[in-house]
Amino acid sequence: MLQNRSTIGVVALLFAGLLAFGLVTADSVGSFAITVLSGLLQAALLFLVASGLSIVFGLMDVLNFAQGHFFMLGAYITFAFFHAQALAPIDPNLRFPIAILIASAVGGVVGYILERGLIRPLYVRPFFMLVLTFGVAIVMGEAIKAIWGTVTYTWSTVNSFSIHQNIFVLFNQQFGWYRIFVILIGLALMVLVALLLRRTRIGIIIRAGVEDSAMVEALGINVRAVFTLVFAFGCALASFGGAVAAPFLGASPGMASAFLLGAVAVVVLGGLGSYEGTAIGSVLVGLSIAIVAKFTSRPEINQTVWPSLTPMILLILVLLLKPSGLFGKEH
Amino acid sequence: MQPSNSSPIRRALQPNWIYLALLAFLILFPHIVGWITGDSPFGIGGRARGQSVFWQSILIEVFILAILTMSYNLIFGFTGVISFGHAMFFGLGGYALGMTLQYTQLGPDAGLLVGLIAGIVIAGVIGFITALVTLRLRGVYFAIFTLALAEMVAIYIGRWPVTNAEDGFPIDVLPELFNPTRSRLFLYYVALVLTVITFLFIRRLINSPTGRVLIAIRDNEARAQAIGYNTLRFKVLSITLASTMAAGAGMMHVILARKVGPEILGVTYTIDPLLMTIIGGVGTIGGPIIGAAGLHLSERILNREFVFGSVVVNIGQQWSLILGITFIVVVMAFPKGVVGTFESWQARRRARVAARQALLLQKAESSGPSGNLHEQPDV
Repeated sequence: MLQNRSTIGVVALLFAGLLAFGLVTADSVGSFAITVLSGLLQAALLFLVASGLSIVFGLMDVLNFAQGHFFMLGAYITFAFFHAQALAPIDPNLRFPIAILIASAVGGVVGYILERGLIRPLYVRPFFMLVLTFGVAIVMGEAIKAIWGTVTYTWSTVNSFSIHQNIFVLFNQQFGWYRIFVILIGLALMVLVALLLRRTRIGIIIRAGVEDSAMVEALGINVRAVFTLVFAFGCALASFGGAVAAPFLGASPGMASAFLLGAVAVVVLGGLGSYEGTAIGSVLVGLSIAIVAKFTSRPEINQTVWPSLTPMILLILVLLLKPSGLFGKEH
Repeated sequence: MQPSNSSPIRRALQPNWIYLALLAFLILFPHIVGWITGDSPFGIGGRARGQSVFWQSILIEVFILAILTMSYNLIFGFTGVISFGHAMFFGLGGYALGMTLQYTQLGPDAGLLVGLIAGIVIAGVIGFITALVTLRLRGVYFAIFTLALAEMVAIYIGRWPVTNAEDGFPIDVLPELFNPTRSRLFLYYVALVLTVITFLFIRRLINSPTGRVLIAIRDNEARAQAIGYNTLRFKVLSITLASTMAAGAGMMHVILARKVGPEILGVTYTIDPLLMTIIGGVGTIGGPIIGAAGLHLSERILNREFVFGSVVVNIGQQWSLILGITFIVVVMAFPKGVVGTFESWQARRRARVAARQALLLQKAESSGPSGNLHEQPDV
């Protein structure tokens, strides 16, 4: 209990420090508000990639290095379907949700096949499991390059769905309604997955499995089957993240490794296998990226490299100072 | 099984005959190609041109990759530590040498010497510090740590204005002897000698008491600790050595390419040695060389258009995809790689022959007049 309370104190301190730094270095309240919003947007996307990563690791000690590629896959599929000629007659406002559904479903199916076909036979050889997902990441990246080429796709503004084009003004700063929408989706999913883990039977099995999977197995529950489901769900969630991010991030071959490292930073910061850690970690990492981006874009510094380095720096610091993360168990 | 009356020279040669034959072939290789194609191995008209020189550069690339892969195998295959950041050492070696040659006023000869030392020292120090982290971070955690570190260095140097960010810079200050457009054959032999030295060094290390401890750490670190070894010290030794070797490979690469760019820090140079180690054979002495040679040569040979009737396929363009699929197949079906699978097949065959002989012997004994199987002395 005491340990829990001190963790909450540390988290509160981190948030306060981060926000205070952002507020002090911001030009105006308005630009600070926008920084916080873009940080939350990053957090929502990171959470979608990281939540699958975290639960899967907690359950079976598998770190899926291809998780970032599922995010990229989702972005490409959504992009391709939204801009497909055959679907053009459908109203864009309907076409976009269809594209998202297809992307998430493909991600889930690919994840299912990956777990059943490649990961399951390797439980007896954990040393190889780690390098296997690395190989799967290569294959997915190269397959995407073979299908869609290496060019960066940017979302066309003509014939787009209506919410994407709406912009609001806050303290003289522009921000897209669609981004707010994505933040809300991220928050909603955070709550939804938490409810799934706390209130449903399968959620209880997952949490028990994270604690001690051998014991759950001994109680007559097929942890492997639950794990396959969780793995596929995590992949679908990452693809969903890529899908909702496609309208503003587009689709490019570089997005996989950026989001993988961001998500790994989130998971390690929160503590591998801890769900609330992942939720809080994604907000922390997202806000840090946005605040660092804002701070280093000031004219007297003007170095655009730091926001992309932020996840790695955070990751390295956490690994050096407290490898178990904020909410993780000491191994 | 060795015949006891053979001479000591023969006994030294016998287990190594395959390596010695390969070495002899590689020494003669530029001249054989020159003899077949009629192009001089020294190039044409003082410039590096012709078939022989072309194949020399492909083999130099193989040697560079072989050194990189052997160094990776020392960490991955013999110490059991998974690192996803090996490209960092390769690239830092290349950058250290390139920057010493181009950004200082030392001149070509002193610049090369200082650059080589600088590259090895920088990679060694960073490798040493990274290795100390294994004290706390095991398994996945160390893999993540090295991946993040390498990615950070790659992104930072890829945008560093001093070295022209993503464009990199060319190397034109080089001693004449090391200039790849003038004396390719010399570089070929330098690379060959370095590969042989690395090979012999790693083999000597693995067969020494130190190497035995490394393998014990790979197999079961807790047990190695319980026996009383300071496992951290051995892991630090292995990772530091491997880092300097990777830096050496990176420096060779930069000299051959005459260019330094952030791609040498990229994840490709982590993936390549990883795939080559696993496909060649994790934790085998010869595996990395077979992996590096096999994969790089097939990439170069397949990188052209094949016409099947009306279909034109360029396998080289999809090379990484094929490589990735091959990698997955090897991990799933042949986790010991080419060399490991061959060795275990040989061992099985030997065991089968021995079993058959034992069976025959048993039959002969039991059909004999006083066939009491249980009290037969060992033959």
